[in-house]
Amino acid sequence: MISVTGLGKRYGVIRAIEDVNFTVNRGEVVGLLGPNGAGKTTTMRILAGCLGATAGKAQVEGLDVTAHPKEVKRRIGYLPESPPLYKSMIVWDYVAFAAAIKGVKDIHGATERALSQVGLLEDVGDRPAAERIIGNLSKGFQQRVGLAQALVHDPDVLVLDEPTSGLDPAQRKEIRVLLQRLAHESRRTIILSTHVLADVEDICSRVVVLDKGTVVAEDSITSLRRQGGRVRLVVAQPSSAAAEALRAVAGVRALERHEDGAYTLTVSQECRADLAAAAVPFGLLELGHQAESLEEIFLKMTGGEE
Amino acid sequence: MSAICAIAWRETRGYFATPVGWLCLGSFVALTGLFFAMSTSEFAAMAVQVASNPFATNQVNLTEWLIHPFFGNTAVILLMLCPALTMRLFAEDRRNGAIELLLASPISSGQIVLGKYLGALGFVFAMLCTTLPLTGMLYWLGNPDTGVLLSCYLATFLLAGSFMAVGMLASAFTTSQVVALVASFGLLLALWVLSWANVIAGPGLGDFLSAVSMLSHVNQLNKGLLHLSDVVYFLSFMGLFVFATTQRVEAYRWR
Repeated sequence: MISVTGLGKRYGVIRAIEDVNFTVNRGEVVGLLGPNGAGKTTTMRILAGCLGATAGKAQVEGLDVTAHPKEVKRRIGYLPESPPLYKSMIVWDYVAFAAAIKGVKDIHGATERALSQVGLLEDVGDRPAAERIIGNLSKGFQQRVGLAQALVHDPDVLVLDEPTSGLDPAQRKEIRVLLQRLAHESRRTIILSTHVLADVEDICSRVVVLDKGTVVAEDSITSLRRQGGRVRLVVAQPSSAAAEALRAVAGVRALERHEDGAYTLTVSQECRADLAAAAVPFGLLELGHQAESLEEIFLKMTGGEE
Repeated sequence: MSAICAIAWRETRGYFATPVGWLCLGSFVALTGLFFAMSTSEFAAMAVQVASNPFATNQVNLTEWLIHPFFGNTAVILLMLCPALTMRLFAEDRRNGAIELLLASPISSGQIVLGKYLGALGFVFAMLCTTLPLTGMLYWLGNPDTGVLLSCYLATFLLAGSFMAVGMLASAFTTSQVVALVASFGLLLALWVLSWANVIAGPGLGDFLSAVSMLSHVNQLNKGLLHLSDVVYFLSFMGLFVFATTQRVEAYRWR
């Protein structure tokens, strides 16, 4: 479980994050969303113990990240945005090295398990990927090596910073499938940041949206979708009075009238029942809801769409 | 302890996996070999000249004419090569992001620094071992003073350790290996020649500069004079720079 309360970080006079609050329950997969510079990496680095917070506190499995850094790090597997690789090393040696510095007792066993989990014991060309030099592997495989080091000490919590960034669509799909498997098989707590909203839809059950260093939304994807969207409504007697009545319903942000008597309303919350009630006097014929895409919701929340 | 050993072992092996490591090792072997050959031929020529003079024979010995110049030259070679060996220690890890692996692991900054430092020392130790056939050859040529030889090796190792500690600190301050190389070389050169400044400084300051300078301490050890103060000087020097590097690495977590 991850619990972040009033977390803040300043780099001199620059505020990276301020008063960030969210919780990730055990076994939950949560996406940390936000535009560049929103504070996602800063939040994740604080959670992983790579960076100290200037305000608030972050807890992992009930342990404070600042007060008990070693205990927390034993429970966390962290994959930074750029995988922390020694590219001149052989994959197996690198993961075994990661196991050694993370205090794993059975280094050989742990290395084998981690490599198997991310599919690096399979052959690439004429020999297993685990026997190859990291620098000679494709970016997708290097990302797997990064994941293997995060998994080698069998952590309860995974913190993954943009695990699919810089990968081509095929590689992205591979990593996404891998993460789905990790999430479902092991019931680990996973928090991942990404720009690729398809990843979030595929893997995460809930999202935390950061913008300009603060949390602007924290909800499940279904619930976020339900909050807004477009409603298409057709009445038998379209008129300016009908338009006014519809516009007056709470939650309606915009109204567009079409020639066939249909209205398209942009709504910011669930208000279909009220809209139906308002439309009945004008002869309600049809009412349908079009959910917003995650992109639209994301842009709306982060001020990317006015 | 196992984490320190793992980091140290990775660092030492890392030198053998990079061109810089092999280049430094190759240069060291070639240059020490060259200087040894030059000192040997000079010693042989001198021996022939004084052979007819029984009073001068006592003046020409292996320690004065071969061991001291050889280790003096080795120190200068190390002064030039150590910055190249240390420049990557932290600068490379920070540039390619590998430092995050160490920072996110359940180990302290002190363990990270000590591991890297011992790893770098391991490579220097291996480099120094390549001179063993040369000094071993002295036993074939004559009868060298083993005490002096051991003292010279100790002095050279302590000196190299000090060089590496300075270089590691420089590497911890930048993400550019070139900047780390130039900074550590400049700093080492300044510390090396500090004792020369006592010519222009007054007696008080001059004595202080002499005491701080590496050159005066290494000269004592190279003469075969194993003073505790010299050993303590080098160990303190290394300790100070390793501590400063630890503080610098700790600061990564706050920047």
